[in-house]
Amino acid sequence: MTNWKASGLSKDLPPANVMHADWQGVDLAVWRSASGRLSAWVDRCPHRGMRLSHGFVRGETLACIYHGWTYGVTGACTHIPAHPDMTPPATITATRFEVTERGGVIWIAAKDDPTAPPDIAGFQPLRSLTVQVGEQALLQALAADAPGLTEAEGGLRGTVQIAGLDTQICLMLQPKAQETTLHILCGAGAGPAQVSRWAESLRRQIEDRSAP
Amino acid sequence: MILYDYILSASCYKVRLMAALLGIKLDLVAVDFHPGRAHKSAAFRDLNPAGSIPVLVDGDLVLTESTAMLVYLAQIAGPQWLGEASPQSAARVQNWLAFSGRLNSSLGLARLHDMLHFPADITACRTAGHLCLRELEAHLTQVRLEGRIFLEGTAPSIADIACFPNVALAPDGGVELRDYPSVRLWQRAVRSLPQFIEMPGIHRLHDLKPAPHSGAAA
Ligand code: FES
Repeated sequence: MTNWKASGLSKDLPPANVMHADWQGVDLAVWRSASGRLSAWVDRCPHRGMRLSHGFVRGETLACIYHGWTYGVTGACTHIPAHPDMTPPATITATRFEVTERGGVIWIAAKDDPTAPPDIAGFQPLRSLTVQVGEQALLQALAADAPGLTEAEGGLRGTVQIAGLDTQICLMLQPKAQETTLHILCGAGAGPAQVSRWAESLRRQIEDRSAP
Repeated sequence: MILYDYILSASCYKVRLMAALLGIKLDLVAVDFHPGRAHKSAAFRDLNPAGSIPVLVDGDLVLTESTAMLVYLAQIAGPQWLGEASPQSAARVQNWLAFSGRLNSSLGLARLHDMLHFPADITACRTAGHLCLRELEAHLTQVRLEGRIFLEGTAPSIADIACFPNVALAPDGGVELRDYPSVRLWQRAVRSLPQFIEMPGIHRLHDLKPAPHSGAAA
């Protein structure tokens, strides 16, 4: 069993970028420094609680957009523009989560988690797509619509017919309150463009059925 | 060239942005859209009977649709912004210009509802906005698979400028962009264009500016 949650695809977070991620209902700011180091922090600036995911990366630091407080990869505040000559106290620190990359997926876990993210070797990351149904409803729908997929660590894996080809698919699930994000990876079979269209179509079917 | 303009309007910004990217200087005439509703005044409707902004006037030419203004500006100062010459490419650019109208009547109206209390079915606006964003995300996902980033071809075009403002301002109307990673990266590419200009709610990339507090930015 893994406690790590798929939270995005590596290719969607290039160096010097920050994004929001939902981790079990906790809002996180996930960012990659210019040199490529990943961090996942609670999405709340220690200054006045504004969203760090609205900030920007400069070099190896993340700066809050609101008043420019700046944090290094350890989470410690390194600069306060209103007091440029002061060394910020060590107590001003962003709250960190564990974050790592495996198989082109960004994985997040609580601090000091002892488990490892799933091994998804052999699959190419394609895209992330959010479906407006909760995790359980989505799993039921997928069991009906894509019976070739079976539950595996972190999500589902198996073979699906796409454009007339047996296609290896891996879906990593990121459950959110009323919706679920699917991180889609593909192996041998149909091409990425076809798998992408298949996923769009599958989402429409599932949402149409669950619509009141 | 005169642009009848309102600073908070996504459609007016579209035209200001295109002009800036092309190096065209516009004479801006501020219209008191809110709260004055000056665009509905008799005098303004003598210029544009539809009572809408922006309006672009160049000599005898009076344009009242922002996408037509993009075409005009590109024709005179940067035809490469019109997209590639093939029938398919020209038609796809037109498709995006029309699509930008859908963005305006969904995401744009949601924003006017939330910011300026425009009457609207806000749930319907946001739902329609997400539908548009899904289409954009699907297309941009495909574009990225081909190693590109802009909506059509390898270079930015009027298609990007037409669609960008209402997408970038979507959070003002309660539509978050967090589930659209390719849209996020596309927006970043637009914001990185040389001579990009800002409007309230849309900022230049701060990371491209020098650090304010030290000469040696990390
Ligand atoms: S809230 Fe982040 S710097 Fe003030």
